[in-house]
Amino acid sequence: MSRPKRMTKAIIVGHKSVLKRTIDVLHDSSLFHIEDFVEDESGFKISKPFQNAEEVSKKLVKIRSISNYLGIEETRQAVQKKDVVLRELDAKLDKLDNAISEKTKTINKNETDLKDLETQKKELLPFLSINLDFDYYRGYENLKVFAGSVKGNLEESQISRVTQAYELFFDPQAKTIVLFVANKDADKVYEALQDLEFKELRVPERGGIPSELLKVAEQKEVDTSNKIESLKAEVESIKSQYTDFLLASDEVLSIENQKAELPLRIATSENAFIIEGWVPSDKYDILVNGINDATSGRAYVTSIPIEHDEGGEGHTEEHTEEHIPVEYNNSKVVAPMQAILDLYSRPKYTEIDPASILLITFPLIYGMILGDIGYAIILGAMALAIKTFVKSDAVKPLMNILIYCQISTFIFGIIYGEFLGFPLASLHTAHGVIPGLLPFWNTVTLFPGIAGEEFTFPVHRTHMVMTMIAVSVGVGLLHLNLGYILGFINISHHSLKHAVLEKGSWIVIELGALVAAIGYFGDISGLTYVGAGILVLGIVMLTMGEGIKGPIELPSLMGNALSYARIIAVGLSSIYIASTVNDIAFGMIWADHSKIGFAAVAAIIVFILGHGLNTVLSIIAPGLHSLRLQYVEFFGKFYQGGGKKFNPFGYIRKYTED
Amino acid sequence: MVDAATAAAVAPVAAPLLDAAGLKALGAAIAIAGTGIASGWAEKDIGSAAIGAMAENEALFGKGLILTVIPETIVIFGLVVALLINSA
Repeated sequence: MSRPKRMTKAIIVGHKSVLKRTIDVLHDSSLFHIEDFVEDESGFKISKPFQNAEEVSKKLVKIRSISNYLGIEETRQAVQKKDVVLRELDAKLDKLDNAISEKTKTINKNETDLKDLETQKKELLPFLSINLDFDYYRGYENLKVFAGSVKGNLEESQISRVTQAYELFFDPQAKTIVLFVANKDADKVYEALQDLEFKELRVPERGGIPSELLKVAEQKEVDTSNKIESLKAEVESIKSQYTDFLLASDEVLSIENQKAELPLRIATSENAFIIEGWVPSDKYDILVNGINDATSGRAYVTSIPIEHDEGGEGHTEEHTEEHIPVEYNNSKVVAPMQAILDLYSRPKYTEIDPASILLITFPLIYGMILGDIGYAIILGAMALAIKTFVKSDAVKPLMNILIYCQISTFIFGIIYGEFLGFPLASLHTAHGVIPGLLPFWNTVTLFPGIAGEEFTFPVHRTHMVMTMIAVSVGVGLLHLNLGYILGFINISHHSLKHAVLEKGSWIVIELGALVAAIGYFGDISGLTYVGAGILVLGIVMLTMGEGIKGPIELPSLMGNALSYARIIAVGLSSIYIASTVNDIAFGMIWADHSKIGFAAVAAIIVFILGHGLNTVLSIIAPGLHSLRLQYVEFFGKFYQGGGKKFNPFGYIRKYTED
Repeated sequence: MVDAATAAAVAPVAAPLLDAAGLKALGAAIAIAGTGIASGWAEKDIGSAAIGAMAENEALFGKGLILTVIPETIVIFGLVVALLINSA
């Protein structure tokens, strides 16, 4: 249970002549979260970017557009010296730019050619089976040529009825018609053709026989495609040749750009500058020394006390403590849980950072739901493998969380005595003995449970559902009360009275209900009244703390607690899927155990596929439900979130070094 | 004749279509089915709105997830009721 890293507000003041050096040192140290200056009536103005800003961003745009075109992805590259990258930048960039633009131009031209060829081919197709040289279609004085398509079937008689002087070519498949008639008959023939819904086709302008033209076009198409392919291959080779350069120069220029544009975020006057921001308190001295060294003491750094809000209603605080950027302050073990917090919302500066509590409660509930030695081993091994082989910063914390969860699942697997849905210990019931996988492990009855069930070790969840619902809800109540206690601590930071009324009242109400229940069921009527009295006191306190909203929310306590019944519910569904797979698979093997035949092979496939499916479900279902219980039920009791991320002025360098 | 008579004598009295156990099972089924449909119905609208919000701003995943799964409690209640019916 920790709070976010303590921050110190620092102000750096100096003459503009040392601004550049100050910015360099701030950027290199990567410790200072700069508060953007908003122009007000103080007379200070934001400044202009440094002179090189325009040039740097121009190059950066060029590099990024090239990277985008080439599809450069962030990969591991050898680290390069920053000076070398900067020195070679202009020459290399020009060369690369020329090469790329030349290649793209040629590719584009070839692609246009390809499209033209496609159109040409399309124009040729209707005339293909008529196969008449296109030169014959034009250049007549007394002849009219109809070239087009018709609908329906053309009988020659339809034309001969109009005129005897004609030459007809008809392709019944493509419904293309080419008809030569005398000019004087043209109108009449055209009318006859109209009845057939004649549509004129464009006759290609070049001469030649269609089938030959098609062959030529197809050949050209192949050539052009090959040309495009080889050009693309050349671009690929440029890409692999320049990847390291592009990544490194992007990094170098991004850094330059950040530095050059910083004056836009700070307050300046004619000759001086003021930079305001936050630095982790334990690093304050390092920052001060760094700046003093770089500017030989000509920039002045001072810390400003944070305005604490003592006992007020919290509105002054909105302008002070809550707006302090938040940096987690957790050990390496707890750090993965920050991913879960960030998914919801970063804690505020004034809040408890619940990551270290999640480290226990999230895997605990996950384990309670899944609780199976077999799945714990499979998933644990998977998470370890992914963690080892995938070097992604986003995946690592998730895999660590999964590993934590599998440790808990393994422990609950022993408590439940389950392995891939099989019971490990034998169970003696009224209907006979259910054998377990381990012959020497017998179930021991510990004490009677609810609804005639018996509480045993190992816990057979399928045989004590009602008892396990009660246990789940009990765990839920503990979890919820932990939330109330955390909320109490959060508020007592400002005002003990509010803490008692808003969060303590819930605990009083639960206590009252508990005492009343003991009195009622234990037939001690005095205790019932005492309990009722405590309950009423709790409700009064709640109303004082939260107003009318408090009592209205009372039923949510029951709803929240019952919501934890999902622990056993989701767990049972996982068991039933696993044991169904086992029943089917082993039923098939036992059907003909005399020889290894088809059924045995099929049984193995069913077993693997079934448990594979359940393994995937075993990440999703318990994970989501455990997450929901944290987010909705637990966080609802104390957590606000909405903190600003501590984002120091600097850059995480991957491809270059000084 | 004889065969038919023996068969009639041996044949058990037809069990009522719905005995107590059957009614209990039906009741449990209705509890689960009704609450299941209800949760799905409620989550449908929230879920699509949450996806829409996430498309705008991926940081809303946490909040979207929470809002989407809130009605799930309904089906948990149904499950509890079904188990109570079955074990009573």
